[in-house]
Amino acid sequence: MSNKLSFYIDRPSPLQRLNPLTKMAVAFAFIIIAFSAHWYWAPLIIFFVGIIPIAVVGKLGREFFSTSVHLFLPLFAFLFVMQSLFHPGGTTVLFRLWFLTVKLEGVQFAFLTATRILVMVSSFLLVLLSTHPSTLMSDLTQRGFPAMLSYIVTSTLQIIPQMRNKAGTIIDAQHSRGMNTEGSLGQRVKALLPLVGPLVFGSLVDVEERAVALEARAFNAPRKKTSLREIPDTGWEKVVRWICLLLVVVSMGSNIWLS
Amino acid sequence: MAIIELNDFSFQYTTGKQPALQHVSLSVEEGEFIAIIGPNGSGKSTLCDTIAGFVPHFFKGETSGSVKVDGVETLSSTLAEMVLHAGLVFQNPFNQISGSKFTVYEEIAFGLENLGVPGGEMAGRIEEVMALTGIKDLADRSPYALSGGQQQRVALASILVMQPRVMVLDEPTSQLDPIGTREVFQVVRSMTSKGITIVMAEHKVEHIAAFADRVIVLDEGKILLQGTARDTLTDPLLPERGVGVSRFTTVAHLAQKEALWPADHVLPVTLEEAADGFQEILRGDHAH
Repeated sequence: MSNKLSFYIDRPSPLQRLNPLTKMAVAFAFIIIAFSAHWYWAPLIIFFVGIIPIAVVGKLGREFFSTSVHLFLPLFAFLFVMQSLFHPGGTTVLFRLWFLTVKLEGVQFAFLTATRILVMVSSFLLVLLSTHPSTLMSDLTQRGFPAMLSYIVTSTLQIIPQMRNKAGTIIDAQHSRGMNTEGSLGQRVKALLPLVGPLVFGSLVDVEERAVALEARAFNAPRKKTSLREIPDTGWEKVVRWICLLLVVVSMGSNIWLS
Repeated sequence: MAIIELNDFSFQYTTGKQPALQHVSLSVEEGEFIAIIGPNGSGKSTLCDTIAGFVPHFFKGETSGSVKVDGVETLSSTLAEMVLHAGLVFQNPFNQISGSKFTVYEEIAFGLENLGVPGGEMAGRIEEVMALTGIKDLADRSPYALSGGQQQRVALASILVMQPRVMVLDEPTSQLDPIGTREVFQVVRSMTSKGITIVMAEHKVEHIAAFADRVIVLDEGKILLQGTARDTLTDPLLPERGVGVSRFTTVAHLAQKEALWPADHVLPVTLEEAADGFQEILRGDHAH
């Protein structure tokens, strides 16, 4: 059974061994600085000087590159076309193409937005590629994050593929009774109800059983939970996290100061 | 010493029109293996949920009488307390997977984490139940990528690891194929050898006959019969009430009507007993 919803790649590396909180802190620092820094080229520099080397250290270069290309190329193409043509208030005309006018301000804005999005998505991508969801959740729970919330996150990751399988089974069952799910739009919409009905009601029944199962495993016991694996955290990682915080404060402060 | 004691216990679900259990009195000795049979709606699941404490702490309703499990008055206790004494495993193996763990090993640890067992103590306990349930080779697999029988053994291990003294099994094989059923019964057999008290609702009477110390027949929320597997499973009341009778008993019963199975011979329940009986008859060992 595929577990496609988790991006994690099990490949030992210095990046994989880092505490999840450190990775999150660095990712957030990159993002906040990319968005708040006063300097126009900051996001691009963060991407080339920060994110790409980390991807290489994490031995995730190939996956990182291919996912990025798939994710960003269409988005950026769309962004540049829209912004360069329709950015409001632009005055510097770069060139005209029939009735379309490409303005410098639009291109600049598109570039800034694109590099910011690049930093935001790619730093999270690195966290997800190098961190197993259960490692992340164990660490957060150990730090006092509510167990209920981390349960919701991890169980959702697991349950969505199961729901997909279930929907497949229901569709097969309805097909074998002669239901037609192909054809015109109206036909397809009509075919949706016999799928959604059993899926939703079946899941509601499952919820009660799942609740019983969780109770039987003492999920609601009023005790302090422990963890199978202690997620290691080192002194220098704490220092790195403080530095991240400091950089964020400086970046946001300079933004306020200079504007 | 009795580890489970129900005294004149009755229960009606909040949504129920009539009581699901009526004046049930039952005493189970420590280490005993009790099987509960009965037609659908006879109260098997309610009785299981009562012993595990889910009635009335999870499934609400009106109670009367008393229930005591492993020294704890369940009606005045809490569910969090009860799960330390009685473990519950039910039909659907899929819904018993917590959903928050990515490997079988982590899945088994889930209950220990919730109980606050120190991390260093977990490995030994997990290894032990994995050996007992025969799932050692599945440790690193996803709990979702298993067969029904394997999943049900993971569910059993996940409860066993919490070390309850009573295991309540509510039709644990009803959604499994014959291989899965056999695997689960093998685990149940190992549990009895560990001295764990077992209460099991089950339709598959041939398996019950082979393992259970005592069989309780429920009908309309009351105890209709109880006694050794041999006596209850061949009782003429069972087919009358539409309760599962072993096909081997049925065959021998039909043979008896044709005067092929001697009237003074006890009816068989398992395949082995039927085979032995018919061999004896065919060889002509039995004097006519």
